[in-house]
Amino acid sequence: MSHPRPDLSVAIGPLRLRNPILLASGTCGYGRELADLVDIGALGGIVLKGISLKPRPGNPPPRIVETPSGLLNAIGLENVGIDTFIERKLPSLREIDTCIVSNILGESVEEYGELARILDMAGGVHAIEVNISCPNVKAGGFAFGTDPAAAAEVTLAVKESTCLPVIVKLSPNVTDITAIARAVEKAGADALSLVNTLFGMAIDIRRRRPALANVFGGLSGPAIRPVALRMVWQTVRAVGIPVIGIGGIRTAGDAIEFLMAGARAVQIGTISLVNPRASTEIISGIESFMREEGFSRITDMRIDR
Amino acid sequence: MKRLDISAPVLSQQDLGHGILLLAILAPEIAKAALPGQFCMLHAGSPETTDPLLRRPFSIHYADGDTIFFLYRVVGKGTRLIAAMRPGDVIRILGPLGCGFSISAETKNILVGGGLGTAPLFFLARSLPREGTTIMLGAKTSGELARADAFLPHAEKVFLSTDDGSLGQHGLVTELLAGHIQRTLCTGFLPLVSACGPWPMVRAVAHLCHINGIPCQVSLEARMACGTGLCLGCAIPRSGGGYLHVCTDGPVLDAALVDWETSQ
Repeated sequence: MSHPRPDLSVAIGPLRLRNPILLASGTCGYGRELADLVDIGALGGIVLKGISLKPRPGNPPPRIVETPSGLLNAIGLENVGIDTFIERKLPSLREIDTCIVSNILGESVEEYGELARILDMAGGVHAIEVNISCPNVKAGGFAFGTDPAAAAEVTLAVKESTCLPVIVKLSPNVTDITAIARAVEKAGADALSLVNTLFGMAIDIRRRRPALANVFGGLSGPAIRPVALRMVWQTVRAVGIPVIGIGGIRTAGDAIEFLMAGARAVQIGTISLVNPRASTEIISGIESFMREEGFSRITDMRIDR
Repeated sequence: MKRLDISAPVLSQQDLGHGILLLAILAPEIAKAALPGQFCMLHAGSPETTDPLLRRPFSIHYADGDTIFFLYRVVGKGTRLIAAMRPGDVIRILGPLGCGFSISAETKNILVGGGLGTAPLFFLARSLPREGTTIMLGAKTSGELARADAFLPHAEKVFLSTDDGSLGQHGLVTELLAGHIQRTLCTGFLPLVSACGPWPMVRAVAHLCHINGIPCQVSLEARMACGTGLCLGCAIPRSGGGYLHVCTDGPVLDAALVDWETSQ
């Protein structure tokens, strides 16, 4: 028996997405790079490559290494800096009919505030994702994401600097992610996204040295999915704000697991690097599943427990 | 630049020995759009596999009509799976990607390949006039000088070298090049050198060209995740600071743009 067309739209605080699928930061460039390979307008949204106040050259190579069902990276947040982003990248994004989320990374609380202030005035960005969880940069990022008080301080600084919805991206490299989540919620975040990459490493045994020049990197891909799913499940049950699930999603079934865990939306990351159309294939897969199982809305799939 | 991501049938897979294979894929639109020096990302194994997770970058050996050819060596899990593919099997292929060789028919061209670095040079050789083109190919041993004979119709002169002396000159291909550069400069011509091969060889070629004031373009390899400029994983140091990305700035780069000192 076939059911009526399900409603895939979701709300993330004040944001309305046509479906719960976003592209994750660092896997879709500044949006245009993928435009010939995937219909960006069909997505719920895209989260752009992380932006800092000043351009960052990134880490020396090797920056990536493949591990079983995973990708270990230490890109080091190479980016063009906020000024070039606004001047050269943002204008063409305004033509795309999807939710544009800008991901920001500061080296201090003040820098996060400054970035939010600039984006607020730039126009064309619909939300800000605050990266307090990058394991690959020395200053900022990581340090803010592993301490509830520091995470709250960054969140507050961003909230005070913008009217845009603020999503805070959490690190899985903590003992209790719900403590950070609650602190960030209390500081005014509109939503949470989790998880960022898992801190890891690999060794090149022939060269007898770490596989990455940075020694450590962030692990992503299907290998991390069960860990990410567990953290999303826990966080959804610890806070009242919407949670966006991230971590190793490859198929519609994977995405549905996160939605059943209570995520309001999900981000597709590493698999887009392998299959540029994975995100749109996942959208149609979710729709088929909802039809087959008789779900009319995304939130109906949540497991109440 | 038109890029396509399609599932395409394998036409043939020829084992050339020494773990080297020649793979032919029927992909008309990619074959027609491909330029010498560009590459494709190939997906190893079934679409369901997550290990290996990433596609693998392969430089285009050449394109002929509707068919695209890849000359490659089995080096790991990904290439082993691709080597196991048989005619009729379907492979996911994304391409053509990256910036290819500058093609200059007016100058004398010297093509220098080391090991499987010969793969993209064949496509370039086919695109250049025979007259004025010199090709130098080197490998560890004769069996690894894959498809060297295929180059013969495409150059005025083809020089070969092997590290063990089993074929051609005994020694490195860069030694061949050094001698040839001196003779060419004596004739008053400034050639264009195009090189591809292992990093130390390409660096030596770039250095030779630099000290002799000869323009040089190099086709480089790097670990890649996406091949499309999204992940920024394939960085190499840029001369004067910062990084180049092999997938979008390259894989063919002006050798003068690369910081050879801090590279690998």
